[in-house]
Amino acid sequence: MTRQKSYLYPFTALVGQEKLKRALLLNAVNQRLGGILVRGEKGTAKSTAVRALAALLPEIEVVKGCPYSCDPGKEESLCPFCREQLKGGQLQRTFRPVRMVELPVSATEDRLVGSLDFEYAIKYGRPRFEPGLLARAHRGIIYVDEVNLLDDHLVDSLLDAAAMGMNVVEREGISYTHPAEFILVGTMNPEEGELRPQLLDRFGFCVQVEGVLEPAERVEIIKRREDFDRNPVGFIEHWVEKELSLRRRIAETRKRLPSVQISREMLELASRLSAEAGVAGHRADLYMVRGSMTLAAWEGRSKILERDVYAAAELVLPHRARDISFPPPQEPQEGGGEEEENPPQEEQQVEEESDGERQENKQEDAAEGEEHEGSRQSEKLPGDLEGGEEKRETSLPSSPEEMVFTIGAPFAVKSIGDQRDRILRTGSGRRSRTKTASRAGRYIRSTMERKNNDLALDATLRAASPYQLSRKRLGVAVAIETQDIREKVREKRIGRFLLFTVDASGSMGARERMVETKGAIFSLLLDAYQKRDRIGMVAFRGQKADLLLPPTSSVERAEKLLAELPTGGKTPLSAGLARAYEVAMNHLHKDPHISPLLIIISDGKANVSMGKEKPLVELRRVAEFIAREERIKTLVVDVEEGGFLSFGLAGELARLLGGEYYKIDDLKADTLVQAVRMYL
Amino acid sequence: MDSTGRTYPFSAIVGQEEMKRGLLLNAVNPRLSGVLIRGEKGTAKSTAVRALAALLPEIEVVEGCVYSCDPRDVSTMCADCRQKVEGGEKLPYRKRKMKVVELPVSATEDRVVGTLDIEQAIKKGEKHFEPGILAQANRGLLYVDEVNLLDDHIVDVLLDSAAMGVNTVEREGVSFTHPASFILVGTMNPEEGELRPQLLDRFGLCVNISGILDPLERVEVVRRRSQFEADPEGFSHLWEGEEIKLRQKIDEAIKLLPQVEIKEEILFLIARIAIEMGVDGHRADLVMMKAAKTTAALEGKEEVSEEDVRRSANLALVHRMRRKPFQELAIDQEKLQGVWGAQQRPNHHHAHSHAHNHSHAHNHSHVHKGNHS
Repeated sequence: MTRQKSYLYPFTALVGQEKLKRALLLNAVNQRLGGILVRGEKGTAKSTAVRALAALLPEIEVVKGCPYSCDPGKEESLCPFCREQLKGGQLQRTFRPVRMVELPVSATEDRLVGSLDFEYAIKYGRPRFEPGLLARAHRGIIYVDEVNLLDDHLVDSLLDAAAMGMNVVEREGISYTHPAEFILVGTMNPEEGELRPQLLDRFGFCVQVEGVLEPAERVEIIKRREDFDRNPVGFIEHWVEKELSLRRRIAETRKRLPSVQISREMLELASRLSAEAGVAGHRADLYMVRGSMTLAAWEGRSKILERDVYAAAELVLPHRARDISFPPPQEPQEGGGEEEENPPQEEQQVEEESDGERQENKQEDAAEGEEHEGSRQSEKLPGDLEGGEEKRETSLPSSPEEMVFTIGAPFAVKSIGDQRDRILRTGSGRRSRTKTASRAGRYIRSTMERKNNDLALDATLRAASPYQLSRKRLGVAVAIETQDIREKVREKRIGRFLLFTVDASGSMGARERMVETKGAIFSLLLDAYQKRDRIGMVAFRGQKADLLLPPTSSVERAEKLLAELPTGGKTPLSAGLARAYEVAMNHLHKDPHISPLLIIISDGKANVSMGKEKPLVELRRVAEFIAREERIKTLVVDVEEGGFLSFGLAGELARLLGGEYYKIDDLKADTLVQAVRMYL
Repeated sequence: MDSTGRTYPFSAIVGQEEMKRGLLLNAVNPRLSGVLIRGEKGTAKSTAVRALAALLPEIEVVEGCVYSCDPRDVSTMCADCRQKVEGGEKLPYRKRKMKVVELPVSATEDRVVGTLDIEQAIKKGEKHFEPGILAQANRGLLYVDEVNLLDDHIVDVLLDSAAMGVNTVEREGVSFTHPASFILVGTMNPEEGELRPQLLDRFGLCVNISGILDPLERVEVVRRRSQFEADPEGFSHLWEGEEIKLRQKIDEAIKLLPQVEIKEEILFLIARIAIEMGVDGHRADLVMMKAAKTTAALEGKEEVSEEDVRRSANLALVHRMRRKPFQELAIDQEKLQGVWGAQQRPNHHHAHSHAHNHSHAHNHSHVHKGNHS
């Protein structure tokens, strides 16, 4: 099939971005550097630079006409096609530039790994393997723009091939293996979500790109871009000399590379640097050594200097280092909540032996004993009863000490409730990817099962093609029988419905806990945004619970409401839960495929009831009631400070609800570490 | 559009000047790569986009080519046309209006990017590509109503082709690429959720609109609307003159655009605005420059003035400001004014308002000259 060509912006005409350019050039020189991941904000010439590199790639020797670009020098690893040719005598050799193969995020698996060639099968009645992108990319580069949006099953295929250096295909009656050694180049905007750690680790280098801040350089960027847009041919001609000389330098560096020596000290320096960064595995050392060798060669030296190693480390370590975590997805707000140490947790065990009833009484007593207002600014010793309990008398909903707290610093959150499920669902979002029963969603593979009348034409044809010679074909080229029919299996990212159920009572105001709580909700909102969840918000305080935000996908509105959410008054926790339950059930009614997750953020210190029961008794009843509805998942975020007199009531609530339980500090987690845990 | 298929005339839309300008600029210069219109329900967003269709210029397209290739530009041709040209063939072409192609929110991926041609496969046992919406939209305007409700995986596909002007298909047994360069126009109601940042950036310009508050204007909106609904034919006839004038203005601007010059100091002003306002990346600079040039062209001028930059800055910046998470899309106007303040000498404020008036007067004379010639 044909490809459309378009003019590429010349690499040498790129302004600034020296680190990115160097990383790309090193990879052009040395095919064993493991590729690059380019992370950066939008509009920073990430893709332009990568695509421009394609024009500079050096030539390699290949077997002429071989679909797998076999290396004629390596007779031991030839593909079947070349082995056949070799039997007949000499291999025909030719030179061609290293290929850059683009993998679009909309690709289907059959095109990536290859599949049965149905045209051939129909004509000759024999199956033949039709090579896919992995074959095209052998000894070259696979480029994925927006690599963080690539579907999981494609990532899996990529990783499998990358790990083995081979593409093993077992599908549609075809069994085929061919070499597939390639380096991966990816570009991504981290605002759209992070990469899986295994995939991350595949990239030799990682470069973070930012916009240029120098006015003169910016002007130069505008001018050049405009010149290129107006007259691409002329522009390319203008830069052709520079391009040629850069190509020559790449070729020379390639020749020089084998003569570069690395000393023991430099090797040690490399491994020390990766050890210091807390890097797991040895891939980093390897790439660092290769990177510094290539750098030395690039500068015409055969001896590696310390600065080569440091420069290589800068490219190799950022995405692997444990202690240099990626910055939060967006600009953090003022306030240093992140650095705060975890409060001491040992005392929490103290309460364990006491049963719920006793705790409850204690809590009641404590509440009655506390006569002072929930004055937030008052200095209290840690371990003091959290002074948030209000007076027993029923107070007006808007008590005079009502306050609005700012939002604490956001942090990366643990993945919550992220497991694939097997129920067929509809919806659109990214939290979980599920097979969908509707005909929308991304076509990932085919199945023989007949359910939706969602014909997978390509798969059906492939299934039918081998039998065509023996079938009666009346006026058509392909006779399809029932047993050939294949249907599409589609996958769709399903967002969840997250219903934040927020305690806005006076007790939350103590010691700026609301600031931290808002920070936590805010972080969850960030996460929800990246995963395209629907969200809603119920807040409870004083005597009642309100639905502040009906189910929506506008995280912006939630954030605004959150910022404005005042604190003060009693804790009608059971009312809050009941209201949340109601909202969740309504949502389930409308959209039975999306399971709601109630995120209850509270210290659990209920002190107002809806009916005649004691608050905690009523709470228990409501919680147990909600627990019976299996479609509603719950998660309790305990904002009670750990300390000598913590009650652990929120933990008890989580147990009753049968839901997950987190201390507010548990939510903060290194993105990488949590992601590893999730996928291993 | 009403039941008879009549479209409300663009020139009859009351107010919403920024939105209209954003659309007109794109009609003149497709390189601006589109506009996103954000606003509440009932603010004439869709009406305006559909009305623009009548004003779009004519383009030359290769006869019979599904991708509407430009017969004069080999670099952007589809593989078929290119092959013919390279084989020495002369391509037949015709002139037609630039198309508006609508991308429904419910569209499936195969409809959008294209897929395996079922007929050819079964009848001939051959693999051929059946073009989708992106192919139709090449060299036209791709309109997505409620763009914020678009499925995630469709957005991914859009991002790809919007950035490169090429649609790369590797699916369902087909491997194919074809030109897909389009003006992306989206409308949305922000109450129903925001756009993904990456998609946001693909829209060259962005306008936030709100309902009209002026009572007189509101009355006028209703009056015209009911007139149109009662007698679409007559209403369109009534506005025909205005529409022709506007169409002429667009045509003149298209001709003038390649000659529009921009001084170095204006480029520095643009760069400084981008830096001071803290935008992400460099696309804002480029778009600001292109929008300023196009603004100048629309007003019949051959050189970009500061005022042109001023009038384009909002459109190019509003969706590219580096925001705190979930902050509303908006521009800190004071800050923007500050950049201007720094640009001009302290006691320049007074002088400036003169310059403003002056340039307006200037424009008009140019426009008139343009119309007569």
